[in-house]
Order: sequence, then C-alpha cells, then structure tokens
Amino acid sequence: MSDVQEATNQLLDVNLHENQESIQVMESGPRSESEQFQVTIGATVPTGFEQTAADEVTEKLGSSCQISRDRGKIYFDISVESLAQVHCLRSVDNLFVVVQEFKDYQFKETKEEVLKDFEELAGKLPWSDPLKVWKINTSFKKKKTKRKKINQNSGKEKIDNGRGDKTDERDVKKAFTSNPLDSHILDYYENPAIKEEVSTLVGDDLASCKDETDESSKEETNPEVLKFRVTCNRAGEKHCFSSNEAARDFGGAVQEYFKWKADMTNFDVEVLLNIHDHEIVVGIALTEESLHRRNITHFGPTTLRSTVAYGMLRLCAPQPTDIIVDPMCGTGAIPIEGATEWSNCYHIAGDNNPLAVNRAANNISSLLSKSQIKEGRPSWGLPIDAVQWDICSLPLRTGSVDIIVTDMPFGKRMGSKKRNWNLYPACLREMSRVCRPGTGRAVLLTQDKKCFTKALSGMGHVWRKVHTVWVNIGGLHAAVYLLKRTPQAFVHPSEQDGERTLW
Amino acid sequence: MKLFTYNLLSLRVGVGPHGFPLHLQATKVHINPEDFNPDSVAHMIPKVEWVAFLEVTNTLHLIKLPKGPIHGHERDEKFLRKMHILQETDVLEGILQRPRLSFNWSKLISVIQMHCAFSTS
Repeated sequence: MSDVQEATNQLLDVNLHENQESIQVMESGPRSESEQFQVTIGATVPTGFEQTAADEVTEKLGSSCQISRDRGKIYFDISVESLAQVHCLRSVDNLFVVVQEFKDYQFKETKEEVLKDFEELAGKLPWSDPLKVWKINTSFKKKKTKRKKINQNSGKEKIDNGRGDKTDERDVKKAFTSNPLDSHILDYYENPAIKEEVSTLVGDDLASCKDETDESSKEETNPEVLKFRVTCNRAGEKHCFSSNEAARDFGGAVQEYFKWKADMTNFDVEVLLNIHDHEIVVGIALTEESLHRRNITHFGPTTLRSTVAYGMLRLCAPQPTDIIVDPMCGTGAIPIEGATEWSNCYHIAGDNNPLAVNRAANNISSLLSKSQIKEGRPSWGLPIDAVQWDICSLPLRTGSVDIIVTDMPFGKRMGSKKRNWNLYPACLREMSRVCRPGTGRAVLLTQDKKCFTKALSGMGHVWRKVHTVWVNIGGLHAAVYLLKRTPQAFVHPSEQDGERTLW
Repeated sequence: MKLFTYNLLSLRVGVGPHGFPLHLQATKVHINPEDFNPDSVAHMIPKVEWVAFLEVTNTLHLIKLPKGPIHGHERDEKFLRKMHILQETDVLEGILQRPRLSFNWSKLISVIQMHCAFSTS
C-alpha cells in the first residue's frame, strides 16, 4: 500500500467514525503501536522570547528545544502521548507538527524550476505520522461552532476597536476568531519588522468561494473528503518567487496527492510552508486561533499579548508568596497572566486611568467565570486585585513589593516621548522605593530605549541592569529590561543634602 | 480586595519612607475557604505590617491576634492557622480613607478607589 493510500485510508476511517458520532481516534490492535512514536513540534513564540519559551518546554515537557534562526520559532521532540500537555504551554502563540525540515534547501535558478520543485515535493514528504498527530490533536479540540466566513474587514474592525474604548465583546470575539493569518497581517502586535511575505492562497481556481451560511458541523457538509489550505510564510532577500506562488503551486500538488478539497476558511487541515532564506519547514497546524489573547475579553488601545506577558513574568522567576505589582497595568494582561500561572503569588494591577482599571477588573471577572465553568465548581477568587493609583506616588509600603512587571508607555500610542522624559525617572524612583531591597526585581518593557537608558543611568545605587531581551511589539523594536534592586535602602532625594537626581 | 493587599497599602506623608495605613471601612467581607499551606503562610508573615493588620482584624471582627508575630512562628501551627485568614479574607465592598492625622492633606490622594473584581454570588 503506498503512503498516499495509507494516509488517505486513515483519514477516511476517521471521517467515518466521526459520522457515527464516536470520537475514537485510536483503535486497539495494529494501530496502537502508533501511540508510541516521537514527533517534532514547532511553536511560534513572540520574537525575543525564544529562550524563555524553550525553558518552559524543558520545564513542563522535559524536552530540549532547538531555536530556529527564523526568529520566533522553536522546535522540540515529544512522544505523541504528551500532545495534550503541549497545549498548556503559556509562552507559545501557535503550534504545528513538522512534516519535514530542510536546513539547507537548494533553490534552482528560475522561478519555474523552483515552483516545479515545490510541486514535486508534495508527493515526496513523509505525511503519515504528522497526519496521525493532527488527527489526535483534532480530538482534543472542543467542538466549536462554525465561524462565519471571515473577510479582510474583520481585521480592520479589530484595529478600530483597539483605538476606541469599546468593550463590545461580540466585535472583539469576531475579530479574535478570524483566521490566524488575517490577524497576523493586520494585528498591531504581530507585524514582523523583518521583510516577510505571508500568504494564504491556494490559488483562485482552487479556493472555495462559497459563503458558508450553514453553521452546522463540518461532518454534515463533507463527510468523505477533508478540506485544507496552504499557508506560506516567506522571508529572505534572494528568493525569485513570492509566497503566493509557492502556496499556490505547492497547494495544487497537495490537493492532487490527497484528493482533498481546498477551502480557505473552513478547512480541516492547514498545511504550513515556512521558508526562511535556505531553511524550509513544512508543517501541519495544530492550533486554530492564536493563543496569545486567551485571557483578555476587554481590549484596550495597547493590550499586550498574553504570551509576551508570560515571557516577561518568567524572566523574573517568581517565587511562592512573592508580591508582584504592575503599576501601569492597562487592561491587566500581565497580572492576569500572573494570577493564572503563578497562583501562589499575589498580584496587584494598578493604573491611573479609571477606564483601564475597569477593564482590568472586567477581565479578571471574565477569567474567574471561565475558571468556574471549567472546573464546575465555584472557585473562590484569584490572588489578584485592581487598584487605581498614580505611579509617581504609589500608595504602597516602602520595600514591600517583590517584583514589578510592567509595559511602560512607549510614547507612541500612549503618552508621548516628551512626557516620558519626566515620567520614566519618576517611575524608576518610585518603583525603587516600593521594591524590596536586595531580593526585589523589575521587568520593564519599553520601546523608548533612549529615554529609559538615560533615566536608569542616574539610578545605579538602587537598580542594577541584569539582562536585556530585544523584542518586537507591533512592528516596533522594543526592549525588556530585567533589573535587580540593590540592597541599599531607599532614601528620599531631599534627604540627600539637597542633592537631586538631575539630568 | 484581599486582606493581604490592603495590608500593603499605605499613604506617604511628607519626606521619608514611612507611610500610614489607610483606614478601611468594610461593608461586605467574604471569607474564601482555601487550603491551608503552612509554608506559604509562614513566608507571608514577615511581609505583614503588624499594627495595621491588628487594627483591621479588630475592625472586621476577625480572630484575635497577639501584639506581634511570635518568635519561631514557622513552627507554631496554631498561630499559622490564625494567620491563614490573610489569604482567605476578601473585602468585597468598602471604602478606604486617609488616616485621621492632622496634616495638610491637599497634596495627598484623598481616596483610593478599590475595584473588587469578583461577583459576590
């Protein structure tokens, strides 16, 4: 039996079973040995946080990671039995199973030859194991109601929502559930700074143009044949083809090979073709929507990705009973992520803007109801509080806070660069007061690196810069600074013989 | 607002690192039953501002506590169990007020809004 036959048969079996309403993925007998195999999983993570993500994988899955040169991706091997745990990773935006990796792919000279190679490639790849993994993975996913066909407008809606103060959950959810690639293109927080082309085409003639008005489960509309699409990410200067063309031709060959039906919006299988210079990775997506906004239902103008929030928290290594404060919390992305993942610590979210504090409080409520529903019993609250305050004069006891984590106003969408010149030193000063000398630390994200460095330079007696992570936030080159609080107790500037920390 | 969080709050007056605890007038308090973890309670005790804590436990008519943390408190389970209320007590509604001191208040924040994030049902 050829590979194609075997793969297709397995998938047909699955579909038949689904028709019979049994989600029995693994039959006993000859197939049971397939549960034991190892598989390579790829994960997209916020650029700059590859190492923290790798640490999380090692900690939670016991696997070591390979960090790709294609920024924002890590790879690791797991046994198929651990697949469910992979979905619990908090530093990961999207997951896929690797079909094959080409570390040094030799591109031919002309576009025609390159595209022909892609077409031929489709038939030569080891599809069967990755497809088994995809099958198992599908059984984990909750049955979600079919989404309406998403058009480009939904992405724009998201941006408009982001600018205003609207907390219309429906609109947000719609944008939130738009296909991951549209969000990828249009979302502030995901525009890569590097020159990269992203395209989801399978070719005009191949793509299905029907508007899916029927929202019933996919099994009823297409019981026999799987639907798929190909997504191509291409980055690199020297390619003679576009991601559109690669996706189209590779997709065409995939369709020929499997006899699947191409569908851009209601697909079962998403095939990924990631090309970074000479590195090519073919994969199958395991996540439908990007996981990075998981905790937030009420967005504000500059809501941080939960995966970035997680990465920042992980950097400061929270210990049990640590008091973790975000003094400029906005919608509360960081403390909420903290309360979920480090529930043995105390989290305080504060902001000077009552709208922001309200949003944070609402997000906390949503999180609480979600966990109540999930666990089926009333859960008694999360270790997190939201307070309105002024960062320059925090109503907190001196030296009482173990960790300060915050996303400082960049001065672009929030505040202004000019305001930062006064704000940053005042913040650093007040934070040094409330932070516990000796053991305290701070993790601060900002794009205004110049202002931050200047502000920090006068504070060597209280803050010591330990580490810098270069990240990309919404297309802006930002930095996450890890600072340690020195053992020196806080002394008010006016007590220092009239000496003040001047520029 | 968790009782522990309340204990962290303080208003600074004038120069210097010292501040004063805010006066809490609670109208709705909830005790969340949580698993008792002696280690975690023991770790929290050094972080507690004792005078403020005594005052608030009196105001809220919670348990009776000694005037200061007991020496060797890590091993005193009875004491730790009492201190467990730090983790369990949640003030759902209330007002925080500046302490009654004779200072020039015009420069200070007058009332800090407390946002209680969870439903009471």
